[in-house]
Amino acid sequence: MTAVIRFENVHKTLGQTRVLEGFSLQAKKGEILCLVGPSGCGKTTILQLLAGLEQPDAGRITGTKGLKVSYVFQEPRLLLWKTVAGNMDFVLRDSVSPARRQELIAKYLRLMGLYEYRDNYPKALSGGMMQRLALCRALAFPHDLLLLDEPFKSLDMPLRLGLVRQLAQMWRGNPSTMVFVTHDLMEALLLGHRVLVLSARPAAILDTVDLDLPFEQRNISREPLPSHYGRMLSLLEAESMKFLPNL
Amino acid sequence: MKNSIFPTRGLTPLFGLAVFIAFWQLISGFYSHVIIPSPAEVAHTLWALVVSGVFWEQSRHSILRGLLGFCLAVAAGTPLGLLIGLNSVAASLLRPLVVVLQVTPLISWLLLAMIWIGFSRVPVFVVFVTTVPLIVINTIQGVKSIDRQLLQMAQIYRISKPRVIREIYLPQVAPYLLAGVSNALGVTWKAVAMAEFLSVQQGIGASMAVARINLETAALFAWTLFLIGLGLVTDRLLVSLTNRKLKHWM
Repeated sequence: MTAVIRFENVHKTLGQTRVLEGFSLQAKKGEILCLVGPSGCGKTTILQLLAGLEQPDAGRITGTKGLKVSYVFQEPRLLLWKTVAGNMDFVLRDSVSPARRQELIAKYLRLMGLYEYRDNYPKALSGGMMQRLALCRALAFPHDLLLLDEPFKSLDMPLRLGLVRQLAQMWRGNPSTMVFVTHDLMEALLLGHRVLVLSARPAAILDTVDLDLPFEQRNISREPLPSHYGRMLSLLEAESMKFLPNL
Repeated sequence: MKNSIFPTRGLTPLFGLAVFIAFWQLISGFYSHVIIPSPAEVAHTLWALVVSGVFWEQSRHSILRGLLGFCLAVAAGTPLGLLIGLNSVAASLLRPLVVVLQVTPLISWLLLAMIWIGFSRVPVFVVFVTTVPLIVINTIQGVKSIDRQLLQMAQIYRISKPRVIREIYLPQVAPYLLAGVSNALGVTWKAVAMAEFLSVQQGIGASMAVARINLETAALFAWTLFLIGLGLVTDRLLVSLTNRKLKHWM
């Protein structure tokens, strides 16, 4: 298994839209890479290429072959005819022994505060709880690469920050490669080892922020996070001017 | 309140029924009992048929034939619908055939079956050919309605194909299949009586043929009422069975 996932000069057109043109990127094994950028800039397409759900029109993607992938989609994508625990069991059944399965399901449902709902059907959950269940499912599934597509979008701010912290904790227990797409700069700065700021379509990397600060020392009001935050924000603001020039 | 003149909502349909029976009683007064027998006469005939055992003796043939044809149609139609829905080659090959099957007149099947397979098996065959397109077409529609996003999710988590069919396709096809089954069940009792009328000596349809020859119009009405009841009961049964199973997620 190669240690690095690499995009080399990747082109991708979806329908009439040229989403990626000569896009390159690397993710080291076991690092948390965050992608931030304006909506519609191709972040989701990058994840789909990483997951093998889409193939590049031109260019090369290396280092993803044979990787076991977990993917938290923008939507929960739950099976409404299975219970909370049943949805977890669904993805684990082929790869984990029955005893271990029960253990994993209980562990992750407890972590996400869903354990007491284990016998409920998704219809009985709130939107945020469904999204947390989708996160549980992805984390419990044995994976080498974890892809997250704005997983906390529908959650309120305190819960969101709590989950970001928890995700960081879990990564420490099982340091898999993680690619985290968000448009919340704060999430990216609290979680990422590296944060890439992407331009509007076709995506290009505007800025790379390397953060080797341990997670527990990261505080949004303490340097260097505020200055990164300010710089990234002004870059993104300049990007939005391309689409809204009259403001 | 729309229904405020009625004590409960449950009584409203009964009231409708009462009006209908009163109207029937009224009309029957103007005509001979051979044309339109009165409700009391029909009830009396129905009772006599039940008490004499004729009723059960005849209707059990029809019920068995109907259920056999219907079950064969579900057993054959479901996999066929899945195949056509999932596989584009199978779709272009078989879909026209299913449509032809659907639009072929009942009478053609009846007469051809009498020539091909002998009279005794005609009712089962006719029920089968008239209900199988309903099952197939509804199943195809169910497959078309499958949520692609869930399939993508299953692909990511490397769920095996048989499990994807069983745990993603089938639960989503189920409501469509049930609609098909419900339609098919409605058609079953009509088709079985029709086929028996022309092809066999026993059964509801055959008894109706005899009643017609003997100008026993009250018996015709009685058998008709029984067929209506059979349709209603089996439909209710299906609805209550499926509601129990599907209430969590539909």
